[in-house]
Amino acid sequence: MTTAPELTQANKSHTKSLRASLSSKPQRLGDGIFAILLVVPGLALMAVVVAYPLVSALVTAFFKQSLVLPGREFVGLQNIIDVLQGNFFQLLQQTLVFTLGTTIAPFVIGFALALALNTQIRGTKIMRGLMLIPWLVPGVVVSFLWMWIFNANYGVMNAILEPFGIEPQAWLAQPGTAMFAVIVAKTWQSFPWMMVMLLAGLQTVPRELHEAAEMDGAGTIRRFFSITVPQLSGIIGLVVLLEFIWNFQHFDIIYVLTGGGPAGTTETFATSVYETAFHGFDLGRAGALGLLWLVLLMALVVVYVRFSEKGEKR
Amino acid sequence: MSASPLPNPAFTRRRALQLFGLGAATVALAGCSPTGTSGAASGAAGLNGADPTDFAFASWSLTEEAAKPALEAIIADYEKANGVSVKPTAFPYNEYINQLMLQVTGGQFTGAAHVDVAWLGSLAATGKLQDLSSLAKGRGYTDAALTAATFDGVQYALPWTIGAIGLVTNSEILGKVGVAPDAFPTTIDDFEKTLKDLKGLGGGLIPYAASTKAAQLKDILIWMQTFGSPLVDGDTITIGDDASIEAVAWYKSLYDQGLIAADVDRFDARSLFAQGRAAIYDDAPVGRGAVTGESPDPDLGSKLVPVSRPVLAAGDTPRALVWGGAIAVVSGSGAATAGDFAQFATSDLDTILADYAVRGLPPATEDALSSDAIASDVFGTQFSERITATATANPLWAFTAYSQIEAEVADRVQAVLVGSSSPKDAMKEAGAAARKLAG
Repeated sequence: MTTAPELTQANKSHTKSLRASLSSKPQRLGDGIFAILLVVPGLALMAVVVAYPLVSALVTAFFKQSLVLPGREFVGLQNIIDVLQGNFFQLLQQTLVFTLGTTIAPFVIGFALALALNTQIRGTKIMRGLMLIPWLVPGVVVSFLWMWIFNANYGVMNAILEPFGIEPQAWLAQPGTAMFAVIVAKTWQSFPWMMVMLLAGLQTVPRELHEAAEMDGAGTIRRFFSITVPQLSGIIGLVVLLEFIWNFQHFDIIYVLTGGGPAGTTETFATSVYETAFHGFDLGRAGALGLLWLVLLMALVVVYVRFSEKGEKR
Repeated sequence: MSASPLPNPAFTRRRALQLFGLGAATVALAGCSPTGTSGAASGAAGLNGADPTDFAFASWSLTEEAAKPALEAIIADYEKANGVSVKPTAFPYNEYINQLMLQVTGGQFTGAAHVDVAWLGSLAATGKLQDLSSLAKGRGYTDAALTAATFDGVQYALPWTIGAIGLVTNSEILGKVGVAPDAFPTTIDDFEKTLKDLKGLGGGLIPYAASTKAAQLKDILIWMQTFGSPLVDGDTITIGDDASIEAVAWYKSLYDQGLIAADVDRFDARSLFAQGRAAIYDDAPVGRGAVTGESPDPDLGSKLVPVSRPVLAAGDTPRALVWGGAIAVVSGSGAATAGDFAQFATSDLDTILADYAVRGLPPATEDALSSDAIASDVFGTQFSERITATATANPLWAFTAYSQIEAEVADRVQAVLVGSSSPKDAMKEAGAAARKLAG
């Protein structure tokens, strides 16, 4: 049994320690540590779903490895040499043709439509909504739609051109027309995004600038090149660069529409890596191709980052 | 089942069996030269007294409108009888082997898988297929069918449908150029002349809807054999020899003359044939359901006539490619029940006959082949007599890298068709690439 003096003594000592703890300075988490703790979950997730597969795929570039057979053998730079001595430069050329085509065409169409929709004519709001539809359609659906349009034997395109005396064409099966067809399909899908971005930019251009220039006698074309384009240069650069980077990696429309054919004439880095890894089961070669592709993409990303930094400074 | 009203030549069940057997027996010869390094997954196949469990079943036919009802009925019957759930997995035929390989090697797929017998070597190389020899015993499979589903001496699958791919014609269109069903040209020269006559009919008719898309350009291999290429001599791939070059040059000349069309694979060919826009195309008996179901002509079924492939010189044996379906079991969850399902789907007589009524593919068991339902099917028996009877397996199937070899050849043939390469250069390159893949 505890006596009263003992209880009093215990209470005194507890109160003393409580005072001591309250009077001491609270433990503070440094800003740096706090920031690291915030970033750690994101970094961990990235390490698992991005960094590990990426590093693993790049390491594969130095091995002879099959997707379906066990084991692998270190071959040094042999896979990279094989790729460079193979069809790498043809792939680079075709990827650039596709990328340039699917960046320039949607930009021109998107810019023209943005200019039209930035006017006060009736129905622009409805048109803005309707124009977005191609962008909302999934890439695979877009591909099947255009596959049907461009089919050599029962396609809509040939049916449209036939009354004009144009012989039916195998749009997707001829080297001369297959890349054109793929670019058209991708352009149809991506011009709305360009249009929306450029329209947003156009709406920030002060109307007073145009009015002042008009009073000074500047015509429409002069105002376009001297006011609109300079005012939009930042956003134009950004959307063109982003579109270029995305198209450089584009896969689904090309793969579904032509599978890289005929005879490899629409093959790009994206479809070739897939074909090599998942149809040819050659992980080593696919890894080497992926490594070279990544190097080229990194160069584009550096340009993008520099451009963004420049924009921020402005 | 659709029975053609065309004249039925004297055809008995015994004769049908002989023909099925003769055609399929060739598989046995070709299947004897494996080069794989595969091994079966360990563990006894089948339930062996255990309770059935849920499992997955993969098939390309589940993506095809004409064939899907047959498979759905089999699945439903098995689920009802065993109180289990079968999870269907479907990929289109052209993508099937690659998707299945990825899922099997990645451990994402276990259970029963419908396979083309041509793919057994590639799938066996994964080491995940079960040896189904214990399930094959006493079920009445023909010896030839069992051999067709064997690779490297191991029964990796149970044979389901063993038939062939050959030429199918529209007798009404052929009649317009004076070619009777029983008088189809027997030599390549006469065949080409008939194609030119058909083109002369105009109206955008495609005389021969041969495959020209890379996905199905494997069809060129049977023409290479027709021109005299063995494809494989011993263990060496001979693509690039004079006969294969000649075959591709001839194919290119048909393409340039508009006797075959660009941008066609099996499924395009079926559509064109169904619409009456093509007179001849290559298919297995399963195509009958697809073309008649898709056609605006309700009588198309009665106009379908399978014919022997023309030969290089009169007297040569017509070539046809064995095309067989089988069910393999990928070891892992549900594999025991999947083995039981494979046995049920491929050897239960009522199930087979119900399946035949929809898909029309020749079954692999003796009792089914001798049944009235199959022996009285005119199209089926004509197909067996004129095509399956001389069908042979593709000797390239013996290589585990078969699908890659096929893709290499197809890409080069396509390059010839579009004018990017000469037949000689393309076939020499294809042969070199194929030999490299074969190891």
